[in-house]
Amino acid sequence: MIAFNRFKLENGLTVLHHFDPTTPMAVVNTLYDVGARDESEEKTGFAHLFEHLMFGGSVNIPDFDSPLQRAGGESNAFTSNDITNYYDVLPVQNIETALWLESDRMLSLAFTPKSLEVQRNVVIEEFKQRYLNQPYGDVWLELRPLAYKKHPYKWATIGKNIQHIEDATMDDVKAFFKAHYHPANAILCIAGNISLEETRRLVDKWYGDIPASLKPERILPKEPVQKEYRELTIERKVPSDAFYYCFKMPERKSFEYYVTDIISDALGREKSSRLYSGLKKELKLVTSINAYITGSMDEGLLIIDGKLSDGVSFEELDAALWPLLEVIKKDLMSEAETSKLLNKIRTVKEFQEQGLLNRAMNLCMYELLGDANGVNEENNLYQSITAQQMKVVANQLFKKENTSLLRVKSIKE
Amino acid sequence: MNMRTMQPETKQVDHISFVKPQIFDVTQHVKLLWMKEVPNDTVRLDLFFDAGITRGNKSIPAIVHSLLLSGTKEFSSVEIHEKIDALGGFLDTDISFENAVVSIYCLREHIRQISNIVADAIQGLAFRETEVEDVLRSMRQQFAVNQQKVKYVAQQQFRKYLFASNADYSTISEESDYDEPAVLAYKKYWREHYLEGLTRITLVGDLEVDEVDALIDLFGKWAVDGKVQHAGDFKFQAQRIDFPKNDAVQCAVRMGRFLFPKSHPDYIDFQVLNTILGDYFGSRLMSNIREDKGYTYGIGSGVMDMNKTGYFVIVTEVGKEVLDLTLHEIKFELERLQNELVSDDELDLVKNYMLGQLLKSADGPYAMLDMYNSVDMYGLTLEFYDDAIQKIKEISPARVQELARQYLNFEDFLIITAG
Repeated sequence: MIAFNRFKLENGLTVLHHFDPTTPMAVVNTLYDVGARDESEEKTGFAHLFEHLMFGGSVNIPDFDSPLQRAGGESNAFTSNDITNYYDVLPVQNIETALWLESDRMLSLAFTPKSLEVQRNVVIEEFKQRYLNQPYGDVWLELRPLAYKKHPYKWATIGKNIQHIEDATMDDVKAFFKAHYHPANAILCIAGNISLEETRRLVDKWYGDIPASLKPERILPKEPVQKEYRELTIERKVPSDAFYYCFKMPERKSFEYYVTDIISDALGREKSSRLYSGLKKELKLVTSINAYITGSMDEGLLIIDGKLSDGVSFEELDAALWPLLEVIKKDLMSEAETSKLLNKIRTVKEFQEQGLLNRAMNLCMYELLGDANGVNEENNLYQSITAQQMKVVANQLFKKENTSLLRVKSIKE
Repeated sequence: MNMRTMQPETKQVDHISFVKPQIFDVTQHVKLLWMKEVPNDTVRLDLFFDAGITRGNKSIPAIVHSLLLSGTKEFSSVEIHEKIDALGGFLDTDISFENAVVSIYCLREHIRQISNIVADAIQGLAFRETEVEDVLRSMRQQFAVNQQKVKYVAQQQFRKYLFASNADYSTISEESDYDEPAVLAYKKYWREHYLEGLTRITLVGDLEVDEVDALIDLFGKWAVDGKVQHAGDFKFQAQRIDFPKNDAVQCAVRMGRFLFPKSHPDYIDFQVLNTILGDYFGSRLMSNIREDKGYTYGIGSGVMDMNKTGYFVIVTEVGKEVLDLTLHEIKFELERLQNELVSDDELDLVKNYMLGQLLKSADGPYAMLDMYNSVDMYGLTLEFYDDAIQKIKEISPARVQELARQYLNFEDFLIITAG
C-alpha cells in the first residue's frame, strides 16, 4: 500500500505527496503529459529532443545539473510515445534545490542556441548508438509504421527520420514548450521524509506563481481497425533471422489491457512459458523467444519476438506458432497456470514498491490514468482475472487480420 | 531580489548510518551475511561461487553457468522453472571476472521451497544432451550478435590486452567454443567450482533465525575448501590498437590502466579524482565531449575492483568521424587535471555530490547489504566508509593534482577502439 496526499494549485498543477520517514533521500518526480504521439508528422523526435533541452538551463538558472549535484543529488529523465518524465533524487534536507530547479524550468527555459546545437548532435549520436550501430537496432523504426497507419505511434520516440532532428529550429522548440510545458499539463510527486504541510509550503513558494495555461486538447488521428494481415521482410547484415509478430491490443485504461498483459506472460515471459518451452525447448526452432506488451496509453501492441535457429525457415516457425496461439484461444487456462502467473505479478509488485523513486513514478503514472490510487488497486485487478476472460481476449488478439509480422532476414557481410 | 536566481541553502551530508548485517560462519572461509530489517515480504538470496570467467578456458565458465538450471535426471529445465514460477519466484544469474552469482528473488513464505528447488537442480545437474545443445546453440548465436556490437568488441579486446600477461584472465570467447559439447570438462568444472565452490551467501529478508540456519545447512555443503586464491601483478603494454568495422557509424573506445586494490591508501582519493574526470553527469569528460562538443551520447570513467588489484577505464561510443578529436579531448582533460588545480568550487560540488551518493547507496536494506558486501568481499570493514566520508571532506586540490600526475598519464594507457 502506497499512501499519498493530493492537492492542486490554482494554476492547475497536480501535486502528490508520499511520506516515507525511513529514508534519508527524497524524490521529486515530474511527469509531463506529452510524448512522441503529440508530435506532428513533419516534426518527429521533438518530445525527446526537448527532454534533452530541459537540462540546458532555464530562465533564471544557467545550468540545471550543477546546483543539484552541489546538493548531493542527481537527475535524469525519459521520453516515451506517451509521456515525458523527469526525476531528481537527493538528500531530503536539500529538497528545496530540486523544487527551485524544476519550477524554474517549468516557468521557462533559457533557449540558448548553443544548447539546441549541442543537444541536436547528442541526440543524433544517440540515434546512431541505439538504432543504427546495433544489430537489429532499427527494427522499431520498421515495425511501428507496419503496425500503425494513422496513429502517431507509427513513429518511434527518437523520430522517424534523423532529418527532423537536424532541422529543428528555435521557433519549433519554443512553440513546443509553450504548448506542453506548464502546470496544467504536469503531475508533480514529492516523496520522502517530508510532511504534507512542508510540502504545501514549498510547492506554493516555488510553483504558485507559474502562470496557468490551458491543458492542450489531445486530438489524435484514430487508428482504423486493422482488417488485413500485414507482413514485411527486411534484409540486414545480422547473424540470424529474427521475427516480430505484433498484435493490436486494448488501450491502457481498459480492463482487457491487464488481461492481455497476463496472456503475454503466459506465452513468453519466463523459461516455463508456453512459447519458450514449446518452440525453443521442444521443437528447437528458435534460440530465443519473448512475449510482452508495449504498455501504451492508446491501442498498443502485444509482441512476440525472437531469433530462428540456424537452418529453420520463417515458414516453419509460423506453422508451429499459430497452433500454440490457437490453444490459448480454445482451451481455458488451468488453475495452476493462472495462479503461477498471478503469483509472479504479486512478487514483482512487492519488489517494485521497495524503491522510493519507483513509488513516486508510479503514483504520477496512475494519476495520469485518472487516479493515483490505481497503483494500490492494480494487484487486485490482476488477481481478479479469470481463465474465461483470458480466453475471450485471446480470441480478439490472435487473429490473422490483427497481425503485423516483421521479418529480419540475415544477409552476409 | 529575485529568489529564483539564488540556490536555496543546502547542507552537506555529515552523517550516514551504516548498518552491519548479521554474520554467520558457514565454514571457516565462507560466511552468510543477513540483513533482516525489511519492511515488507520481499527476500533476496545470493549464492556466490568461485566460478568467474577467469576460472576456465574455452568459455567453459560461461557455458556451465548457463547450464546450472538446465535439468536433473528427474526434472527438465522447463519443469524446474515451472516449479519456481509457480511460487512466484525469480532467478537471476550473473557471471563476472572473479565470481558467478545465482540469485533468488521471492516473497518470504516461499524462500525455503524455492531454495530447495535450486539446490536440487544444481546438485543434480545432469547435463542432458538436448539441453546442452540448446544452450550452445543460443550462446553461439549470441556470440555472433555480440561480434557486431562495437562496444562488446572493444570491451573484449581491452580485456585481452590489459590482462595479456595472464592467460586465464586474457582469454576471450571464440565461436569454436560452442561447436562441440565438452561434457566431461563441463562436469569437472561444475564439481570443482559449484559443488565445491560456494564462497559466500548474502540474504535480505525478514526471516526467522531457524530459516537462515536451514539455508546454511542446505547450501553449506558446497562451501569451498580453504581460501580462494586470485591472480594479481598483471603486466600490459601501453599502446593503441584499432579494430576496424567498416559499416559501423560509431566507434567504441575503452582506455585505461591498472591501479590498485580497494585496500590501497590512495583508493578513496582517487575516487574523487575519477568523479571529477568522468563519473557523474557534470564531469569534465561529459561537459567537454558531450555537453560542449556533442561528439557522443555518453562518456564515463570508473574503477573496476578486483581481489588483488583494480583498473581504471574510460568508456565511450563516439561518431566515427570524431574519434581522433575525442581522444585528443580526453588527453586534454587528463593533462588539465595534471597541470591546473581544480577550483574549490568544483571540488566542493564533487564532494557534496559524492556524499549524497554515498547516502543513497546506504539507503534501505538491499542497498546497505550490497554496500557492506562490496567491502567485506575484499577483506575490508564498514570503517572503509567512515574513512571515505572523512577523506572526501578533507581532500585538497593539490592532492587531486598529485594523483592525476601519478595515475592519469595518457602515455600509460592501453587504448582500444572498435568501429
